[in-house]
Amino acid sequence: MLLIESDGKALFRAAGLRVPEGVVVGAIEEMPALAGAGPWIVKAQVPVGGRGKAGGVVRCDDAAAVRSVVARLLQSRIKGHAVQRCLVERAVQGSDEYYLSLMLDPAACAVRVALLREGGVEVEQAVATQRVRLCDPEPAAIAAAVRELASDEPNARQAAIADIGEKLAALFLARELMLAEINPLFFDAQGCIAGDAKVVVDLNALDRQPDIAALIERNAAIYPDAVRKLHDGFDYVEVDPDGEIGLVTTGAGLSMMLIDELTARGGKPLNFCDIRTGQLRGDPTRLMRVFEWISSRPNVRVVLVNIFAGITDLAEFAELLCAALERTPAIKVPVVARIVGNRFAEARAVLAQKRPDIAVEEALDRALGHVDRVLGRPHA
Amino acid sequence: MIGELSRRTPCLVQGATGRTGRAHVERMLAYGTNIVAGVSGRADVTEVAGVPVFGDCKAAVDATGAVASLAMVPPAGVFAAVENALAAGIRLIVTVAEGIPVHDSLRISRKVRAAGATWVGPSTPGLAVPGEMKLGFLPDVSLKPGPLAFMAKSGTLSYETGYRLASVGVGQSIWVGVGGDPVKGVRFADLLPLFLRDARTRGIVLIGEVGGSEEEEFADALAKADSSKPVYALVAGRGAKEGVSMGHAGALMFGDVGTFASKKKRLEAAGARVFASIDDLVSACRRDHA
Repeated sequence: MLLIESDGKALFRAAGLRVPEGVVVGAIEEMPALAGAGPWIVKAQVPVGGRGKAGGVVRCDDAAAVRSVVARLLQSRIKGHAVQRCLVERAVQGSDEYYLSLMLDPAACAVRVALLREGGVEVEQAVATQRVRLCDPEPAAIAAAVRELASDEPNARQAAIADIGEKLAALFLARELMLAEINPLFFDAQGCIAGDAKVVVDLNALDRQPDIAALIERNAAIYPDAVRKLHDGFDYVEVDPDGEIGLVTTGAGLSMMLIDELTARGGKPLNFCDIRTGQLRGDPTRLMRVFEWISSRPNVRVVLVNIFAGITDLAEFAELLCAALERTPAIKVPVVARIVGNRFAEARAVLAQKRPDIAVEEALDRALGHVDRVLGRPHA
Repeated sequence: MIGELSRRTPCLVQGATGRTGRAHVERMLAYGTNIVAGVSGRADVTEVAGVPVFGDCKAAVDATGAVASLAMVPPAGVFAAVENALAAGIRLIVTVAEGIPVHDSLRISRKVRAAGATWVGPSTPGLAVPGEMKLGFLPDVSLKPGPLAFMAKSGTLSYETGYRLASVGVGQSIWVGVGGDPVKGVRFADLLPLFLRDARTRGIVLIGEVGGSEEEEFADALAKADSSKPVYALVAGRGAKEGVSMGHAGALMFGDVGTFASKKKRLEAAGARVFASIDDLVSACRRDHA
């Protein structure tokens, strides 16, 4: 998962990297008086790439401009994310801008180090250049690769890059990162300064990364999907808070494909969901959690259940579905259940008896037809 | 090794005495898999479903000649299970556990490569040669012998696709779930030469998703290969949210990396057909192969 910049920089600072002096502001009332002279950079703290192009990074010459930009950004959305915080930093002036990144390279089973003499590039451009080295996931190997990439720099700069390379390598391995990107990387007389931090963490490693888990918990409003996974043990990602179709699905690939197919038909899915039916073990809690999240959104008009049961007992699932619905009265919209596989006939009998209002289908296109009818669209 | 699998291949199951392990040993035996041994840390269990249980892979391999292993152990135990299997000379190891930290997968993959063995996983439902054998829990209702070789990041989406194809009479020659993690053992591109060589295979179904570069790597390999076998692809996650993993740790886009558009473009440039829906893929495969 991609961290917001200020959280990435918190990891950088803890690892001994230098970052520009700055302050995180969550509301205009929290805005402190800015000491000293500008200019300043105001940056929207949203967990997406390409913030600059989307208008989320603004240079301001004086404190009044900072205030008005912060106020404006905090009311805005950047690439679908409400801006909940801004980072205000003193601009680093008169420095060259470089690009430095460490990235897991899955195909090579190695760490990919990139050092470029221009900032502002996208990671894809960076990896496409020759200024990259693949190395073993060991601190010494990564540090050596960084030094080698910097070997044609002036001496002082070589030393500065070697120093930040060592620190970044230690951080990358100790915190089990998937990406640590600094773009731009600045220089001053004391060495390197990380102008930005794009850090991708591994949610599967949080059991042994308590600092990162704590960071995510502290900023629960920024990482709602990760917090749900941490607390509830399965994946639920809200893809459109204004969505009309709540999804109760198992399997990541099938859930993603269903979202794509619904969208292609003109539907507005609310969420991705991989509930993992194999882990329910007779307990409706996960289903109830999903129904709570779905019912908390105002525009939902239909719930679509889609379960392909290779091994899961559908009759048992049907019982759990009924139990969860009964205990979540907030779900007032029609429910369409597309279930297929192991003990379908028994499951249909359970639903017919307990919840005759639920449309039950074995074929996905017929279930999608029900969804279309509820939403008042002609069957595509 | 994957290309040589048959109902005769001697296989062992690590973690065979757990609740899930035991259930799947029974299902795999019923399907026809030649499971010759179980491996378990439990000293009190000596057999599972008629299969002898050993304390480690070395003892199991010495006694039975097993060459392939399925590890049904929790995420934290996968690294040790792979080490144990490699030390015993196992040539193919399938690990089904989900949620392995990526840096662990990196260590596992490097170890397997150094040993010259093959790893399928993590986070995979396994593999099958339909009608012959399966290692893992690909559902029987989706398996049917036929002309299409499957490679899939997603279990459920491949089950659904296989099931619908089977119901219109089009089955599979071989089926490998590579799993939805970014760092893994066998990748899509690794399977291409094998599927092209395989005489039973007349077409390839690729079930991909956003995130990472595996579909692009496959496209590069396909473009270079001298192939007359059609490739039918689904890439799930067009509507995925940037910066967040969509269930699979590998289904993570940031910036322009791993997007649907990039994958579709590269696959199509290499001659693959990328379909907008499962139905479209099923119809095309049915036209060509039923």
